[in-house]
Amino acid sequence: MTTKIRKTVQACRQALTVTAAVTLLAGTAHAQLAGHNVILVHGFQMEDLSNPPDSFSDIEQAGADYWQGFWLNRAEARIDWGSDGRIEGSIAQQAYQQLKTISQQGLCNDYCILVTHSTGDLVTRYLLENQARWLQADGLQPLKILAAIDLAGAGGGTEIANLAVSIAYNDSWYNWPARQAVKAFLGIDPEPANLGVVNDLQTNAARNLAVDPNSIPRLRFVGGGSSYGGVTKPFIAGTDDGVVPTHSACGATTAEGIDSCSNSISLAGKVSSQNGPDALYHNHYPVLMSEGTSHGGVKGGETGNIAVPVVNNTTLNGLRVDFASRTYNKRPWWQWWGSGDQYIEVPGSDQTDMSTLLYTTLND
Amino acid sequence: MRPSALLTIAIAIGVVAGTTALLSRENPDRPVAADTTQALPGSATKPAPGGSTQASTGQKAAAAPQESPLAFMLANVASDYRHAIRYPEWSTPLSPNQARAYQGNNYHPVALPLGDTGHFTVTLEKYRFTRDEPILVAASISGPQIVDDTLSATLEAIGNRDAVTSTTLSRADGLGSFAGVLDSDHAPGEYRLIVSARVDGRIIRHASTLTIEPDLGEFKGLDDPFVRNNNLVIPVRFKAREGGFYALAAQLYHGQTPIAQLSTEQRLDGGTGRIELRAHGTVLAHHDVDGRLELRHLHLRQLPARPGDRTHHAFGPDAGYEFAPPDLSSLRDEPVVTPESEQRAELLQRLADKF
Repeated sequence: MTTKIRKTVQACRQALTVTAAVTLLAGTAHAQLAGHNVILVHGFQMEDLSNPPDSFSDIEQAGADYWQGFWLNRAEARIDWGSDGRIEGSIAQQAYQQLKTISQQGLCNDYCILVTHSTGDLVTRYLLENQARWLQADGLQPLKILAAIDLAGAGGGTEIANLAVSIAYNDSWYNWPARQAVKAFLGIDPEPANLGVVNDLQTNAARNLAVDPNSIPRLRFVGGGSSYGGVTKPFIAGTDDGVVPTHSACGATTAEGIDSCSNSISLAGKVSSQNGPDALYHNHYPVLMSEGTSHGGVKGGETGNIAVPVVNNTTLNGLRVDFASRTYNKRPWWQWWGSGDQYIEVPGSDQTDMSTLLYTTLND
Repeated sequence: MRPSALLTIAIAIGVVAGTTALLSRENPDRPVAADTTQALPGSATKPAPGGSTQASTGQKAAAAPQESPLAFMLANVASDYRHAIRYPEWSTPLSPNQARAYQGNNYHPVALPLGDTGHFTVTLEKYRFTRDEPILVAASISGPQIVDDTLSATLEAIGNRDAVTSTTLSRADGLGSFAGVLDSDHAPGEYRLIVSARVDGRIIRHASTLTIEPDLGEFKGLDDPFVRNNNLVIPVRFKAREGGFYALAAQLYHGQTPIAQLSTEQRLDGGTGRIELRAHGTVLAHHDVDGRLELRHLHLRQLPARPGDRTHHAFGPDAGYEFAPPDLSSLRDEPVVTPESEQRAELLQRLADKF
């Protein structure tokens, strides 16, 4: 068999596998968000670097495992991809096979909601820029997307990826804490050739990929907790969730470190002047922040953390809006006088997790 | 009154005051004023950034309280989105900060920690270099470390790891800054920039990424702009080396004020083609355009024909293009109607209306 024919057969086999996979998912789950089909796009999977997937079924299994905590049974389809690849490479190819199937099945004929986590934000941004042209070239309908819900979005990259690239080129004695931070993030000692999608997560690479404005609203949900025992935090600009900096998760237009998505409310809900973003990318809307929620916790399963609305303006359609919130004053233990600081939070949010809060609100 | 009585009274007052203070003191972890429905404080000190382009309308009467802050936020998104789609996605208004972000070829300095508060930082003028353009590399090392007088910079192809060129970075001042130039006459693609320094006697490598872009063709200037269908149409001429599907983005300026991010996509065959950028009336009707306009930061992308192909990038002249606009008095601030965005806005509003 010639190489060309072999490649064609392999591509057909992969396409069939993908079709079967999406069909199966669509057949077993009928979950929607506010009446719209949900499509999941997962984030970076470190196991793919140490043990690259052999087949699409490996990628699919890893995709299912990724969303196991909350979203798996609340989605009609997923777009799974291997983290050993590049966005403008095998990731686009794998994702497109699934986009085709979703289009053929008409899952987005009545507008889908994309739910992305972490690097899924960046992958989605690239796909949204190209999907209509690719699908039309194949005689298929472009997907109609209502909105993307970006959980801990890494669309602006992360300084941990910058660090990983440099660590890959340095001897093992170099800066032990930095090396441990990178190892915690990647699961391996980085080498120049085994970084996969981490290359795309460098802040400059991410912020130069498919950033043109489009009309799809991106709703941002932002954590500020610790991951990997906190070893990564010192190497990320501004506040972060242990993997993704706040500048990225909010959708800020530069990689300058910031502390909050709001200029007047901290990640913890404290009403005070904050180092917030000077500007956001077009159609990016930070919705909730949570200081205690970790990178993985944003996609579900992590309770006990207060969620904070990213309120920049209490005027809605010309009317000042009051809403049910819990505001309170908090004083340090040593301060016996004064009224303390004012905080804002979503009532009862510490009894649930950010994804559940979002899901139940939209499906109420 | 006897001193002992005074002391007793003082102790009693102290105990009462202390108990009151203790009782009134909020536990740092548990708010005492819990579960009260309150209005949020006034708007932020800075205007809502970026995505929230809603104009400040002043505070009017308070509307009915929302059930939850999340519901309020969704209503806010629906409102902001409704406002955002007044502008077509190919002609969006720009704040100065957004203008910088959408220039399309930014490089944010990359810092590598050295320990003891030291940092090894590399800065480039941009992220993408057109083949043959010089690559100016600037590096700085801060902190207590002892650094040699020269650094080296190498460009390594990602993939086969071939080092394609290298240079020496010399001290640019008496402090810790170094600079040098690499050539970029190499096959288009992604490259690793490795800047090496001897720090405290050991080699430290700072690695980051840049791209070398193929020569996609040549910008040939502008044809005369004109007004059509409530748009200022700005035709850009580009001689493409090869046919394909291209996207062009550029920023419209009036003096130092950014007005709008303009973009369009179209197929180009080889030879000189004409790409029409449009500035919609919604971004121009408010501006008192006196004198000439400028088109800056032209960024052309040859879009990937198939998944897995790379996007190729080309950039217009640094000076951009200045032009005298035609009579713009007929442009109106009338929102554009884009059926898909309208449907999206209605659906978002329906979500918000549930609360």
